[in-house]
Amino acid sequence: MVVKVNNLVKRYGDLLALDHLSLEVRSGEIFGLLGPNGSGKTTAINCILSLLKYDKGDITVFDKPMSPDAYDIKKDIGVVMQEVAVFNELTVYENIDYFCGLYVSDKAKRKALVDEAIDFVGLNDFRKFRPKKLSGGLLRRLNIACGIAHKPKLIILDEPTVAVDPQSRNKILEGIVDLNKLGATVIYTSHYMEEVEQICSRIMIIDKGKVIASGTKDELKSMITLGEKITLDVFNIEEAQIEGFRQLRNVTSVDYSEGILVIRSLKGKNNLERVLEYVKSEGISFGKIYSEMPTLNDVFLEITGKELRD
Amino acid sequence: MFKHIFIYRLKVLMKDKTMLFWTLIFPIALAAFFKLSFGGLVEQGTFRAIDVVVVEETRQEGFMGVMESLSSGDDQLFNMTIEDMDTAKGMLEEEMVTAIITVNETIGMTVNQSGFGQSIVKSVLDQYNNTANAVENILSTNPAAFESIAEDLRSRVTYTVEQPITDAKMDITLNYFYALIAMASLYGSFFGMEEVNNIQANLSVHAARVNMAPVHKLKIFLSSTSASLVIQYSEMLVFLAYLRFILNVDFGSQIGLILLTTFVGSLVGISLGAFVSALFKSGEDVKTGILIGTTMTGAFLSGLMFGDIKYLVQTKMPILALVNPVNVLSDAFYALYFYDDYIRYTQNIAILLSFSFVFCTATYLIIRRRKYASI
Repeated sequence: MVVKVNNLVKRYGDLLALDHLSLEVRSGEIFGLLGPNGSGKTTAINCILSLLKYDKGDITVFDKPMSPDAYDIKKDIGVVMQEVAVFNELTVYENIDYFCGLYVSDKAKRKALVDEAIDFVGLNDFRKFRPKKLSGGLLRRLNIACGIAHKPKLIILDEPTVAVDPQSRNKILEGIVDLNKLGATVIYTSHYMEEVEQICSRIMIIDKGKVIASGTKDELKSMITLGEKITLDVFNIEEAQIEGFRQLRNVTSVDYSEGILVIRSLKGKNNLERVLEYVKSEGISFGKIYSEMPTLNDVFLEITGKELRD
Repeated sequence: MFKHIFIYRLKVLMKDKTMLFWTLIFPIALAAFFKLSFGGLVEQGTFRAIDVVVVEETRQEGFMGVMESLSSGDDQLFNMTIEDMDTAKGMLEEEMVTAIITVNETIGMTVNQSGFGQSIVKSVLDQYNNTANAVENILSTNPAAFESIAEDLRSRVTYTVEQPITDAKMDITLNYFYALIAMASLYGSFFGMEEVNNIQANLSVHAARVNMAPVHKLKIFLSSTSASLVIQYSEMLVFLAYLRFILNVDFGSQIGLILLTTFVGSLVGISLGAFVSALFKSGEDVKTGILIGTTMTGAFLSGLMFGDIKYLVQTKMPILALVNPVNVLSDAFYALYFYDDYIRYTQNIAILLSFSFVFCTATYLIIRRRKYASI
């Protein structure tokens, strides 16, 4: 087990930030920690890294107890914090070299690692740039390079895509998958369910410091009763026909607005087929029709009664 | 590892323009301002011989002898010229002389305005006339007293003896510059603050990242603080060179001890900043405010803005003078310049080193904490 957290409790005064949180991260996986802002993701990470004191619980990393002076563990961990932590007075190369130098003292070895990291995050054209000259997306990439240049076995990324443009976000996500393919175990925290769903092999959803659910994305989705969402672009539809959709088996709600008909259903077989048969039988003209499976937001919504982004 | 962190900290600090302004540009600008303000003070304190013209209508050997004596030598009182009355009046009119001294049976003077120089001329003439009258009176009643009177006049006795504590030339502006150097040294506290901010995970994101690295915190602190000390001391050397060679501030001849004092001052400054930064959890702006406030108050109490306050504090609240690092540091420069022995100087340096030791120890005790209650 790369990381094992057992029964972790952390309080900030009267606020219970982590409520008996337990988790396990297996070697070689991308473990997603998903939850809304303030749910306790960063607190959990800081406790795992031994930066924060906690009230109760056990934490082991690489099967050894984690502590602030566990340097043999720390040398194999790379951390990319939520806030960009680079020096504005140093160039891109110097920043990466400085942080890498805290792990690797051999100069020649370090140079190769820094070059590789720059190449990996696609900052080759910006080696001599100061951070202030970089866009938000490039800055995030530099922040990542500073955290991973020393080739750690465990990489912890705490919301690395906050305030990043879609192009840079995709580049970052692809990079994380590549790091994982190269052998690193990854812990990825985010409140963007799409990202977690896209790259993580296992996901833990937390809220108010408590584990809500955990498993693969399919396992998580199977925990809820909600089935697919079917959407139709219809040209003309009567109220009686909308009511007809409501009477179909498994359908839980039907909404119609400005030519878009949205049908939600419980889990079950042949939901889409039944809708199509009804459309044909009623002679309803439609432009296109598509079906979506439940998202992690639906999982969160059903379990907590609120949207993930609330 | 030490070298790696040290070199990168040097690079970062050298490119930090805000820091450069406060620790170098600001003291230089303040020194230039001081020089402009104090420029006339030294000249005002220097006595210039008074220009007088003597119109000798009747020959008086005794008086002319006195005037020639007062108009010669290093400490001459008068610049004397001898002219006829018309020329003398013209000179007075054109303000080439302060007074016309007319030598008749009596000695008189003519001025066209009142002032410091005129008062001195009058005082000299009054004293001469009084003495001449007294001698004349005594001799008219007792001619035999001539010898003893002449002896008395030759051997005037001063009943007070000046005992200088130093051979150094007194310059009333030096204290201001010493206080300024002390203040600039203590501005090294900004560097100390920055270094602690960069290793305390609850103070900055850089520090959080550094805390996750497999390096002992004390090692990082020592290497980065050494870089700060090098930068601060280099800036102080530039500042001293500026004062000495551009503004011509006189530091005396003990350059080695002056450099040592500045080094100790830089050390105190950096350790003070580190201590304040470790002690207060507030943001960088608040800490900067605390440091500027502390340093400026210390500088004020050591006479940076108002020279007499140093004396007032020293006499009324000596403990305050003792615990004020700016005062102790400026006093070390003062002692080095004005005193021929090193007792006072050594005491000051010992106090400064004690300050630094206390600040460093307290800082270490605070920052050695390895986990934080909140970040």
